[in-house]
Amino acid sequence: MQGFGTYVRSQREALAETSKDFSVRKVAKAIGVEPAFLSKVEREVVSPPSEAKVIALAKTLGEDQDVLLAMAGKVSSDLLNIIRDRPALFAELIRKLKTEPDHAVLRVVREVRDGEW
Amino acid sequence: MIYLTDDCLEISFPELQNYAGIRINFQRTLRIPDDGQLHSLPPGLGKFPLRHIEDFDLTKHNHLKERGGIIMPMFQAEAMWLNFTSIHSFGELEYPIAVKIGTGKICAVSGEGWNSTLNRHPQDYLVVPEQPWIDGYNVKKGRIKQFIAAPMGKGYTVEEQLTDEASVGGLQIQVFPMKQEFYKRFNDQQKQELRDRSFDEQSVMYSIEPSCLEVNYSSEPSLEMGLAPGGSMRQEIYEDPYDLEVWDMRKSERCFVTIANADQWMSITGEEPPMAPITAGEYTKAGLPWFEYYGDDQTAIEGAKLLGNIKSVKNITSTDGENIWPKDQSAFKAKLAWLTKRTISAGKWP
Repeated sequence: MQGFGTYVRSQREALAETSKDFSVRKVAKAIGVEPAFLSKVEREVVSPPSEAKVIALAKTLGEDQDVLLAMAGKVSSDLLNIIRDRPALFAELIRKLKTEPDHAVLRVVREVRDGEW
Repeated sequence: MIYLTDDCLEISFPELQNYAGIRINFQRTLRIPDDGQLHSLPPGLGKFPLRHIEDFDLTKHNHLKERGGIIMPMFQAEAMWLNFTSIHSFGELEYPIAVKIGTGKICAVSGEGWNSTLNRHPQDYLVVPEQPWIDGYNVKKGRIKQFIAAPMGKGYTVEEQLTDEASVGGLQIQVFPMKQEFYKRFNDQQKQELRDRSFDEQSVMYSIEPSCLEVNYSSEPSLEMGLAPGGSMRQEIYEDPYDLEVWDMRKSERCFVTIANADQWMSITGEEPPMAPITAGEYTKAGLPWFEYYGDDQTAIEGAKLLGNIKSVKNITSTDGENIWPKDQSAFKAKLAWLTKRTISAGKWP
């Protein structure tokens, strides 16, 4: 699996090809860190930043925040709270779903959405 | 909550009971001739594919996604019936569920405009498991007019016939569970009796593989379809055997079913559309049976006054002069099979 920093860098550079808003300097400013720090993160010289910074990075780059958090070795605090409320139940659920194919997992988590009519 | 599983809508209320809910699938079927005769039940030819509507780019029709729900393909003038089964729990009374069915936001049972509650006078819903299916509009006591897919905006659909507008289309479903306290009472008192009444869905389905036949369809169909009345069929809509107060109006689930023209299914979903269904004449010629079913001692409700005068597709000339109704087969003698509850013999064993 691609490392967090490498992945962030590849995504940012792809966006930078079409927009100047995705230079290291601009992205660092958008998420509230120093450019040098972001550069080190991308080169994987330092560990991924905090949960809040990873979420900000996901929003800036248009990435799924849960995916980016997972790549950074983190679980979002709202998910942690859900598990902490009913740890045995969710531990069992997640372990059971571990080897299920995507469509089986979707069956568990995806409701038919109602709209305006 | 509503899930989509194996082309079935599974609507459940696990907060009441883990088996409180129903499965609804949409069965492809033969279009019965619109010849003034009263026909028997046609078979099920397999389930229509169902997909989450939000998964697809409908280009200029993307506004349809605001209604949520699911999308399914039907060929123009294709027929359909809705098959209901309860979510079983062995040894327990099937959890009663009230089901409202609308087409173009016109109730298929009462003919009234859509509202999100249950009404008894006239009754505007079905009760599952007592009602195992519905094939069409409740036009007269013991008689329905078959659901037929028709393009919107040409005057065919019931919505257009009753409101002069073609603004909704599709099919609407809303279900209401029985209140838990009533269920517990009935489960205790009548479990055995009602379990005997439960219908075995295995005896209903008479699936055959549809063959690929040439059918004459419109060259440039519109994406969205509505439902219109077709030929007449013997079918009773059963009276609610319970009092209105047993239904929990606070706990309903609903789903909008957008009907897409099957000719455009591939461009919408990237999937092959279903094959065109065989005709009623070809089915009968092959010696395959039609069906009769009478529910034990259940009482049928009257036909809806508002639906009594709707015209079948065959008798409508559309606003552009087209008539989508294919030529009816010549008269045929159908072989009948009786659908009854399936009894299981205890047999002899030590």
